[in-house]
Amino acid sequence: MLKRRSFLIFTSILGLSSYLNAGKKSKFDMEFKKVKLTIASVQEHMFPKGGLLPYAKDIKATQFLYETINHKSYDRDIKQFIIDGANEFICREGSGFVSMTESEKEKALRSYEESKRGEMWLNWIMTLTMEAMFSDPIYGSNIKEIGWSAIDSYGGYPRANKRYIWG
Amino acid sequence: MVVTLGQIKDIYGVSMYDVVIVGSGASGGAVAYTLTKAGYKVALLEKGKLLSRDEFSKDELAYCRRDIVTPNLFDEYHTIEEKVNGKWVATPTYESGWSFWNGNIVGGSSNLMSGMFHRLHPDDFRLRSKYGKIDGANIVDWPISYEELEPYYTKVEEIVGVSGDFRPHRYEPKRSTPNFPQKPTEENSVTKLIEKSCKELGISALVTPRAILSSGKNGRNGCTYSNFCGSYGCSSGAKGSSREALIRPALATGNLTLLPHKYVKKLYSTKDRVTSAVIVDTLTLKEEQIEGYIFVISAQAHESVRLLFNSANKYYPNGLANSSGELGKNLIFSGGGAGEGELHKDSLKDIEFKELIKTGLFVNRSILDWYFIDDWWRGKFKGGLVEIMFQHQNIISRSLQNTYSDGKLVWGKELGERIVDNMTNQKSIRFEIFNDWLPNDNCFVSLDPNHKDKYGMPVGKLRIQAHPQDLKVGNYIAKKCKKILKQMGAKNIYFDISSTPPQNLVAGGCRFGDDPKKSVLNRDCQSHDIANLFVADASFMPTGGSVAYTWTIYANAFRVADKIVKILKYKNN
Repeated sequence: MLKRRSFLIFTSILGLSSYLNAGKKSKFDMEFKKVKLTIASVQEHMFPKGGLLPYAKDIKATQFLYETINHKSYDRDIKQFIIDGANEFICREGSGFVSMTESEKEKALRSYEESKRGEMWLNWIMTLTMEAMFSDPIYGSNIKEIGWSAIDSYGGYPRANKRYIWG
Repeated sequence: MVVTLGQIKDIYGVSMYDVVIVGSGASGGAVAYTLTKAGYKVALLEKGKLLSRDEFSKDELAYCRRDIVTPNLFDEYHTIEEKVNGKWVATPTYESGWSFWNGNIVGGSSNLMSGMFHRLHPDDFRLRSKYGKIDGANIVDWPISYEELEPYYTKVEEIVGVSGDFRPHRYEPKRSTPNFPQKPTEENSVTKLIEKSCKELGISALVTPRAILSSGKNGRNGCTYSNFCGSYGCSSGAKGSSREALIRPALATGNLTLLPHKYVKKLYSTKDRVTSAVIVDTLTLKEEQIEGYIFVISAQAHESVRLLFNSANKYYPNGLANSSGELGKNLIFSGGGAGEGELHKDSLKDIEFKELIKTGLFVNRSILDWYFIDDWWRGKFKGGLVEIMFQHQNIISRSLQNTYSDGKLVWGKELGERIVDNMTNQKSIRFEIFNDWLPNDNCFVSLDPNHKDKYGMPVGKLRIQAHPQDLKVGNYIAKKCKKILKQMGAKNIYFDISSTPPQNLVAGGCRFGDDPKKSVLNRDCQSHDIANLFVADASFMPTGGSVAYTWTIYANAFRVADKIVKILKYKNN
């Protein structure tokens, strides 16, 4: 099996990992604030307006991502990897990714995907966005079951009345 | 009644019970049910929380994608030892993410099972006698026969509740009743297509018995067909979990003290008796001891072994109940694998697509034709069981299957089109193969000398290696199954038979047998060394058969409980 933790922590080519501080909420909030717009922009490129699936911005996918990786049930290494990967991507592309044209964004993301680490980061962003879209509406993103409606597939009953079973 | 240890002491003066059970899953529940019904005072210890029916929502994120009903792997974990480039390498599961926990809540993993129930075949009890020695495999006959377990299989049908429709088959074990106590759960029209296709191929499709009530019984409702069953708890009470079928009625006797949030660190013993269990309250971290006349370990195979190793003392320096040196050895899983194909809207035959995509209904079809194989070319060998089902209906995981094409991530409008097409114009039909995981010298549990859990106890190290025969059998059956899917008109059929174990189907490690030098437990699942110590979970199994274990675990635990009742009666007289 892949030694996930070792890979995530020690392969950061830019040495940006602040793993030791990962548990500190305020530190995390500061780190997330720096990368939030970039992550949102990536999500919106992956799940754009006018497609068959909901637009990432319309379902508040970035807020879902923030709340999800900040929840105690979320793997702390992947949480840090989300931040590190975003920082790495920003370092590669400069801070201008958010203002690029769609074709420039596509080129930048495909370029990042060429590295194993980049592919992994993009995969996590996509996974978290799809979790936002298709999880129970109680998590705040599958608003009025918009994600489920798009694919005509609905969750079972009873629906959740608390996030993560007991909050 | 859920009370604290302090309250118990208030009530009884001392936390002393007739029987203390460690673990509330299938086996712990069956023992608790039997003993409390017989009037004995029982403490049932469970590391996890007690969830009510209402809390068993169909929340994919919580139940299937996060460690909510299992421990956080950074707190509690195993190390898994696999052979990498010719060397054994142990990897903690917090690194791999490969959790070996299975439902740490009251009722254990029985809450989350799919409930596809099959009895072992009589020849599963005498595999060595029937098929002889296989090089590299430690196959032995069981010390008991199918006939001894049969009344308890029947008992499970009644008490836990098994629905089905018996169809005679050459490999169906004999029953003492003509049919199941309840008719099958409602079925999807795909069953017609399966049966027709199997018939065309000369294959017998049988109705899968399920530990799911099709109609209400004893305060439990019949199935409400929620579309999400396996991996989820049941909110109607229909699923025959230990919590619903056994612990709930045991609590009603007033004889059961259910103690959730209790982690058992170790057992104290003299040479002859277990005297107490050291428990930690997982919420307060307060440590206490609990005493009993008899102790029953039912913590799931690998964890029961770990507890016995962690209970080593001056009398048993190599682990409690381990004078044989067999503790932890011959861990087994379920061998086999799975395959899938797609039934497309535009090429579906014999049934309507709108019927196919009707949600919530069961497929309930299994094939026993290859349970024993006599092949003109390959000869005679033990085969396995096939279950046919839909792909799990989880929405997030099904959607995520569309994110790669030609090794590259897909996103944007193309991703949306792929997902919508996949979710609305086709339905995946799946087969799962269950064949023996042959016990061998490189599949066992020990303690990891380098890793401890958050309670300071050494974690279990699982060395895992499958026997080549397991793969041979799985591949043989998978090729047969592929033909069924093809006959059904499925497209893009594939299968994967691997030596990666399903961590929820684990057994062995505390073999039972008549020879104290070669087994941990006697035929009653009582320690050869310590008379008041029983192990009731699947760890007793020397071989696993070719079906999921749960029915056999329930049945054997009822059998063991009857033996304990006899001891307690003798003691009280």
